[in-house]
Amino acid sequence: MILTPGIIARLAVLGAFVAVAQVVCFSKMDIFGTSPDIALLVVISVGMLGGSLTGAVTGFSIGLLLDCLLLETLGAFALTMLCVGYVAGRYRETIGRPTRPAVVLLGGSLTMLGALVIAAIQIGTGIDANVSFLVVRDALIKSLIGALLAIPVLWIVRLVVRSALVDERRAARRTPSPRPVESG
Amino acid sequence: MYRKQVRRRRAVLLLLVAASLTLLSLYYRESTGGPLHGAQDVVSTVFSPIESGADRALKPARDLVNWFGETFDARGDKSKLEDQVADLRDQLARAQTQQQEVKELQALDQLTSGGIVPDGSDPVTARVVGRSPTVWYSTVTIDNGSGDGVRIDDPVVAAQGLAGKVTQTTPNTAQVTLITDADSAVTARVTPSGATGVVEPDVGNPNDLQLDFLERGTRIAEGQMVVTAGFSTGDLGSIFPPGIPVGEITSASVQEQQAYQRVHLEPFADLRNMDFVKVLTTHSGGGKNG
Repeated sequence: MILTPGIIARLAVLGAFVAVAQVVCFSKMDIFGTSPDIALLVVISVGMLGGSLTGAVTGFSIGLLLDCLLLETLGAFALTMLCVGYVAGRYRETIGRPTRPAVVLLGGSLTMLGALVIAAIQIGTGIDANVSFLVVRDALIKSLIGALLAIPVLWIVRLVVRSALVDERRAARRTPSPRPVESG
Repeated sequence: MYRKQVRRRRAVLLLLVAASLTLLSLYYRESTGGPLHGAQDVVSTVFSPIESGADRALKPARDLVNWFGETFDARGDKSKLEDQVADLRDQLARAQTQQQEVKELQALDQLTSGGIVPDGSDPVTARVVGRSPTVWYSTVTIDNGSGDGVRIDDPVVAAQGLAGKVTQTTPNTAQVTLITDADSAVTARVTPSGATGVVEPDVGNPNDLQLDFLERGTRIAEGQMVVTAGFSTGDLGSIFPPGIPVGEITSASVQEQQAYQRVHLEPFADLRNMDFVKVLTTHSGGGKNG
């Protein structure tokens, strides 16, 4: 991904929008007792498209904004999303462009990782709650929802940053254009 | 070049991790009025109107998703709730039946504690277990018999008044012939006038009784109460003790009184729906039908 000021601005708007939407909308949805973590999926998608550094910075920024909007312990979501974005980016850098099954797997497993990390940080920083099976169940359902939504979210993020994706331009160039039909 | 990139990536990553941990640590330690809390408040305040607008704008999408979830949950709860409703309905029916029975027993106790039970008698409370299926309601079966001290010709009262007399017994059950039976006849007195007569069923009308053989010249009005007379003449006496309420005068035309010495009354006892009766286990020594 080529990071121009325009792309950075797009990513900033996307991050702000998804953080607000996560707080006011997605977190209030009830799907099998939990809610989808779309902000985390956006960070995973940016990581998969832009690499570890872009993923980590985007994750840190969106996470920090979430910490502020939720008035949670500052740094908790930032650290979690930074880790998740970095791991997604490293996958891209070491293995290559993820295939569809890989996107689903990454979406599920990294959502699970994010849910567990944030639970661990919150418990470690003084949330007065017992670690029970509910935490694991919640993380499992979240990861299933993450796996299901990984492809659509990646598709939307790709639309936003399409002009900066070097690989996609090359792929588009390699695709032969149809020859014009000669008449006569 | 590549190494430089790797070094830069690692440095940024370390910087971000360090920043996160520092924020976590400082935020956790500082008081609510600290600079980090202040910065958080500023960001939250700036985004507050955006959040408010986004909340309203995204509400339909949120409600749609929640509607699916709630519908799914509701379908899961449906069978459980149906079972609960059936269980509660069963409990309610049992409670209402018990309440009705308690009321009836209390009324029965009230009636028999009013001095109508002759000295030396021991009233036996019995449940009505069998009922004649005909429209005449002439007999019922009770769940106490000769083994409980119930004897033939014992008077039987229901919660509101006289019901009939025992006409047949087995060790565990007894048959009660009601005052609406064609063969029934009970000597009775109209209060407060004191006129006496014989209460008999009105043939062809099971809800109506008639008081026959009234003395000439007595004036009886609608609404007056009829109780058992309980006469005793030598060895001959009524099997019904005096003072048991029988019914209320419903029709007392002058013509009928003069021509037939007769008035009509409605029994107090709800003979169709009674569940409990009391058998007044006393023997006056051989009265015949009242």
